[in-house]
Amino acid sequence: MTRHQKRMLKQAAKQICLHILFIVICFVTLIPILYALSVSLNADNSLVSSDFRFIPKNFTLRNYVAVFTEEPVMLWFKNSMTLAVVTVVISLAAAIPAAYAFSRMRFKGRKPILKQLVLLYSFPSVLSMFAIYTLLRPLGLINSKVGLILIYTGTMAEFGLLNMKGYFDTIPREIEEAAEIDGASGIQLVTRIVLPLARPSILVTAVMILIYVWNEYLFATTFMTGAENYTLAAGLYSLQATEMSGSWPVFAAASLVVSLPILIVFFAVQRHMTSGLTAGGVKG
Amino acid sequence: MKKNKKETFWAYLCSAPSLLLILLIVVFPILYTAYISFTNMNVYHWFNFSFVGLKNYKDALFVFDSGFLAALLRTILWTVLNMVLQLVIAFVLASLLNIQDFKGRRVYKTLLMIPWAMPGYVSILLWKNGIFNSQFGLLNQWMQKLGLATVRWLANDVSAFLCCTVVNLWLALPFMIMIMDGALQAVDHSCYESAILDGANWFQRAYFITIPAIRPIIAPSVLITVFTTFKQFDVVYLLTQQAGAKTGANIHTILTYAYENAFITNNYGYSSAVSILIFAILILFSMVTSRKAKEG
Amino acid sequence: MKRLIAGFLSVCVAVSLLMTGCSSGGTDNTAQTDGPVTITIWHDKEDEVAQALQTELDTLAPDIVVKLEKKDGLTDSLKMVGNDPNSAPDMYFFAHDKIGVYAEMGILAPITDFVDKSTLNQYIPMTIEAATYKGEVYQLPIYFETLLYMYNRRYMSDDEVPSTTEELYKYMQENTKGGHYGFVEQHSTAYYAAGWLHAFGGYILNENGKPGLDDENTIKALEYHKKFVELMPTEGEYSTVNTLFREGKAHSTIGGPWLVPTARESGIDLGIAPMPTVDETGNKIAPYSGVQGIHVLKVAAERKHDAIAKVLQVLTNDSVGIAMAKASGCAPAKQSCYDDPVISGDDMVMAMYDTAQDAVPMPNVPEMDVMWTVTENLLVDVNMSGKDVRSSAQAAQQQAESLIKQMQ
Repeated sequence: MTRHQKRMLKQAAKQICLHILFIVICFVTLIPILYALSVSLNADNSLVSSDFRFIPKNFTLRNYVAVFTEEPVMLWFKNSMTLAVVTVVISLAAAIPAAYAFSRMRFKGRKPILKQLVLLYSFPSVLSMFAIYTLLRPLGLINSKVGLILIYTGTMAEFGLLNMKGYFDTIPREIEEAAEIDGASGIQLVTRIVLPLARPSILVTAVMILIYVWNEYLFATTFMTGAENYTLAAGLYSLQATEMSGSWPVFAAASLVVSLPILIVFFAVQRHMTSGLTAGGVKG
Repeated sequence: MKKNKKETFWAYLCSAPSLLLILLIVVFPILYTAYISFTNMNVYHWFNFSFVGLKNYKDALFVFDSGFLAALLRTILWTVLNMVLQLVIAFVLASLLNIQDFKGRRVYKTLLMIPWAMPGYVSILLWKNGIFNSQFGLLNQWMQKLGLATVRWLANDVSAFLCCTVVNLWLALPFMIMIMDGALQAVDHSCYESAILDGANWFQRAYFITIPAIRPIIAPSVLITVFTTFKQFDVVYLLTQQAGAKTGANIHTILTYAYENAFITNNYGYSSAVSILIFAILILFSMVTSRKAKEG
Repeated sequence: MKRLIAGFLSVCVAVSLLMTGCSSGGTDNTAQTDGPVTITIWHDKEDEVAQALQTELDTLAPDIVVKLEKKDGLTDSLKMVGNDPNSAPDMYFFAHDKIGVYAEMGILAPITDFVDKSTLNQYIPMTIEAATYKGEVYQLPIYFETLLYMYNRRYMSDDEVPSTTEELYKYMQENTKGGHYGFVEQHSTAYYAAGWLHAFGGYILNENGKPGLDDENTIKALEYHKKFVELMPTEGEYSTVNTLFREGKAHSTIGGPWLVPTARESGIDLGIAPMPTVDETGNKIAPYSGVQGIHVLKVAAERKHDAIAKVLQVLTNDSVGIAMAKASGCAPAKQSCYDDPVISGDDMVMAMYDTAQDAVPMPNVPEMDVMWTVTENLLVDVNMSGKDVRSSAQAAQQQAESLIKQMQ
C-alpha cells in the first residue's frame, strides 16, 4: 500500500466515523420532532397515547390537509414573511453602521454604552409589554404591522449591534487601511471591503433575526387581533390544543409546517456563510 | 482633539438609528416600569393611579424571603450549569462540523437547527407531554420495555431540574452552534497548519489557537445567552409550574418565583417594584462576575 | 474622512429604509362613519360555539355587523386595551369570574344600561347572581357549565355507579390495577378540587374575598380526599387524565362538557351520573360552575349604545340559548329554553342542569385571581409532596392573605 492510499483510507474511515456520529446526534436531537411528526400523521386525536410508535398505526395526511384548508395558513405565512423581511432589512440597516462605529471608531461614551447595552438584556421582556403598549397606543400602532415591526427591530437592532460588533473587531484594520491607501473611496471601502468581509456575521445575524420574528408570538398575539392579522407563530398559538378545544395532531402538523420555511432558508444560506476572509477578502 | 470630536460625531450619527430604536423599545419600557413602581397602579386604580413613593418597594421586600434566596441560588446554579454545557457541547459539535472535507455537513447543520425553527412553547409542550409524561411519555415507555420501573421525571426536584436543563439545552444549542460555527469559519486556517506542523494535538490547538481566536466574536452572544438563561421563564414554568399542571417539583427560578408571589396580584405598581429590584440584582451580579473575570 | 462619508451614507440608507418601512403597511383605525355599525366581540370559544353565535347575530345585518374575534390571552389583553376605544372590542364573551377585576378597573358597563331589568328575571337566579358584582349586573348570561361525573359503561355498569364517595373508594380499590384506574380526576388543580372542599363545607374564597384554605372543613376535605388521590396517577394534569379516560384505561372521571365529544369520538360508551355524596356530610361533591356570557365595555357603551342594545336583545332570544347549548353541550341560562324539547330531551344538557343545582358559582371578586395558584400549590404540597395537611393549609392561607393584601 502506498502512502497515498493509506492516507485515502484513513480519510475515508474518518469520514464514516463522522457520519455515524452525526447521524446518532441528529437522531437523538430530533426525537421530539419525530414524535410530533408521528402524532401529526396519526388518525387518532391525541398527543399522548399508551402505545406510541414512531410509525403510526392509522396513517393519515388529513391533519396536513386541515392545516391548509381550515386555517388561513397562507395568509399567516404572508404576514410572517412581510414582518420578517422588513424587520431583517431595517434591523440590519440600523445595526451594521452602528456595529461598525462601535468597533472601529473611538469616541466618548463608547464603552459605557456598550456595557449598558448588554445589561439591558437582563430585564425580563415580558414586563416590557405594558410599557410598549403605552408607547404604541398614542402613535396608533396597536393592531398594526408597523407597530410590530417597530418592536421587533428595536429588540433585534440591539442584538445585531452587539453580535456584529464582536465580529467586526476581528477583521484586521490593516486590510481597510491598505485599501484606503490604494485609493478606495469611503463607499467602496464599505461595500467592497467591509461588508464582504463581514458577510458570515451579517448572514448569521440575519438568520437569527428571521427566526426571532418567525417564532415570536407574545407580542403578535397581544397586539394583533383577528385571524387575518396573525403571523404563523401567533396563528399556531391560537391552534394550540387546550383542554377545551383544539386538535393535537393538527397542531403538531401546523408546527412542522411552520418550521419548514426556516429550514429551507437556513439550508440555502449556509453556502454563503463561509468567511469573507478566506473567500477573497485578502485579495482586496 | 479635533479629530476626536469629529469621530465622536460620526460615530453617533452612524449608530443613531440603532440607538434610537433601542431607546424606544428596550430602554423606555425599563424606565416606564421604574416610574410605575412608584405608583399604586393596581386593579382598584388601574387608570387613575397616583404616586405612592416607596410603598411598593417596602412591600416588595416581603417577596425577598428565604424562598426567594433559594430561587436565586438555584437560578445561579441553573445559569452556570447551562452555560458550561452549552459552550462545551456547541464548541465540540461546531468544531466537528468544521473539519475540512466533511461532506454533507450542510445537511447535519440544517437538521441540528430544527429545534430552533419551532416556537419555544411548542417544543416545551412536546417535551412535557411526549417525552416526560409519567403515564405515556416516551421515556417511561422505553423504561417499561427495558423492564425498569417508571419514573415521575418532573415530580422530583433533582430530576425535574435536569429535565429542564435538557430541554433548555435542546432549545438553546442551535443558536450557540451557529454562533460558534460562524466564528470558527473566521479563524485563519494557516494558523492551524503551522500548529499541526509543530505537532500540536486537537486539545492544544483548541486551547491555544481556536478559543482565543473565536472568543471576541462569540463574547457578545455568550453574554446575551447568559442573561437569557438567567431570566429563563418558559422552560421551568411550562414544564413544572404551569397553572393546572403543576408537577410537584419545587424548582422555582427568580422569575417564576416572582411571578407566583407578585405578578399574579394584578398589582402593576408592586410587580414593577419587584421587577426593578430583580433587575438591580442582575446588574449587581453581572458587575461582580465581570470584575472577577478581569481579575482572573 | 472617506470612512465618515461612508458611515453617513449607511445612515441615510438606514433612515430611508426605516421611513419606507413605516409608510408601508398602514393602520386600519379609521373612525366609524355612517352606514352599518360594526360591533366587535372578543371570545375564546371553540369554533362550533362561535359559529352558532355568529349565525344568530347575523340576523342583525345589514344595519349592525357583528364581528366575532377569537382572542388568545383575552383576559390579559383586556387589562391592557380595556379603555382604549381604538383597540378594545365592544363586548366580550367569557366566563363570569373576571367580572370583579374588570369592574374594579372600571372598564365594564352594567348590562342593565341596555337590557330591561325585568328581562333578567327570566334567567336562572344562579346565573344572574354570578354576573352580579357589588350590586350591578355586568354580564348577560348565555349558558353555564360545570363538571360532571362520567363513566365508561364498558367497565362500570349503570348500577355499579357509586352514589357515595365511600362506594367510589371501594370501586377504586377493586379496580385500580394492571394499568387500569377505577377513577381519575385532575386532583391537584383548584378548579377540580373545589368540589370536594364544598362538599365538606370548606371553601377557597368566600363572597367577601376571604380565603378559607385553613378552614377546619377545608382541612377535613383535603385529608379525606388524599386517599382517593393515592389511587390515581400522580400526574393529574388534563392530558393524562383525559387520555386515560378516552383510551378506556380509567373507568370513571370527573370532567367538563368539553370531554364529552372527544370521548364519544374515541368510541367510549359514555354514561353521565350525579356526583357522589360524601358519606360523612351527606353533601354531594359540588364543583364550581362557570357562567358564560356577554359583557359590554364602557368605551363602547356610549358610542354604540343602540347597536349594543339590539345585539343584547337578540341574545335574550330562546333560540340563542338553545343553539349555544347544543353547540357547547352546556345548559342555557334562560329558564324558558328548557320548555323546548330539544333541550329537555338532551341528556347531556339536563345532566349539566341537574349537577349545576349543587354547583357553586366561581367567585367573581378580584381576589380570586391569586387563589388559583395558591390553592394549587397547597394541593400539590398535600397530594404530591406528601406534606402535612394542616401546616400546609396554614402556610397557604397566610400566603393567600398576604397576596390579597398586595393587590391593594
